[in-house]
Amino acid sequence: MNGPDERKVKSLGELPVAIEPPRDLWPGIEARLKAPVATVAAVSPRPAGARLAQLRWLAAAAMVASVAVGVWIGREVLPLSGGAARAPQSATATALPASPEGAALNASYVSDPRYQRQRTELLRTLQARIEAMPPPARLKVTASLATIEHAKEDLERALGKDPSNALLQELLINTYQDEMRALTDVHEASDPGRGI
Amino acid sequence: MSYAQVGDSRVDWEGALVQRACAGDSRAFERLYREHAGKVYGLCLRLTRDAHLAEDCTQDTFINAWKALPQFQTRSSLSTWLHRIAVNVSLGRRRKASPVMEPPAEDEEGSGGGFLLETPLEVRELETAIGALPDGARDALVLHALYGYSHGEAAEMLGIAEGTCKAQLHRARKLLRERLNMEIN
Repeated sequence: MNGPDERKVKSLGELPVAIEPPRDLWPGIEARLKAPVATVAAVSPRPAGARLAQLRWLAAAAMVASVAVGVWIGREVLPLSGGAARAPQSATATALPASPEGAALNASYVSDPRYQRQRTELLRTLQARIEAMPPPARLKVTASLATIEHAKEDLERALGKDPSNALLQELLINTYQDEMRALTDVHEASDPGRGI
Repeated sequence: MSYAQVGDSRVDWEGALVQRACAGDSRAFERLYREHAGKVYGLCLRLTRDAHLAEDCTQDTFINAWKALPQFQTRSSLSTWLHRIAVNVSLGRRRKASPVMEPPAEDEEGSGGGFLLETPLEVRELETAIGALPDGARDALVLHALYGYSHGEAAEMLGIAEGTCKAQLHRARKLLRERLNMEIN
């Protein structure tokens, strides 16, 4: 932390008070002085911990939304159409690993072409299935899927800034799983064979 | 008179620059930066012991100063005001970097003295010994022995009691004496 000064001193008061910065700091200061308020705010973002906490809440909200869809469908729709048969499938989905070790496995799960095909297929028919639902159910499902979508967007944005963050990766994978679970629930609930 | 207190003519010169900077003249503020950057960076570097962090703290100090310039009283010393901001910024950054609290020093009297060395030492050697001091002791030593602030001023800047500041200075002196293996009067 000191300069190359090798002269000798007899008191602490003789030490040089000023130490020139190794580079000119003024251009950086000037840029921040002239930046509009919004940019200055962007230069001093909230602490990473606060952002991560918010994203955790979003992921949790997505999970709650997914569970809400499942529970609502389980209670309101499936009793009318023999929903007991679907229990093992739902349990399989819930059992997907949530640990950091599991996140790596889940990453391959999400990029799996079969998963992508299934998701695309579910999304393709989603709008028609939602429209076929009774209005209260439609509102609940739409709100839940919007929450999940919002969580995904925020997590993807955060990962764009910090791609190697294992926790964010895990939260995103979990949110994809929640989305898949909700889509499957909607699909099964409105399946003509099951009769919504 | 503390280091930070300066002659009337310079205060007037600075006062004019401060007034221009207050009116939004960034060239005037740059001149103030050029005048004080070395002392501010030196203080940040000694408090953080990290060159990159010290650069960030120096920039933040001047950004904060620019924003707060309308509140600055031109009768007081700009240097002291900037050092106050630099101490706040540096301690805040240091807490974020390693939020481990140091145990407070017990109040102790008898820490006065000019920190005179029995045998002359190279600047580099002395700076290294100061850099190796615990945070609290180093903070008090830098502000009091290097920057010339009184116990009260240093304590106020650091947000500690004056007695604690004196105790930290006593501790700094003791540790320096042990590390440099020499008497510090």
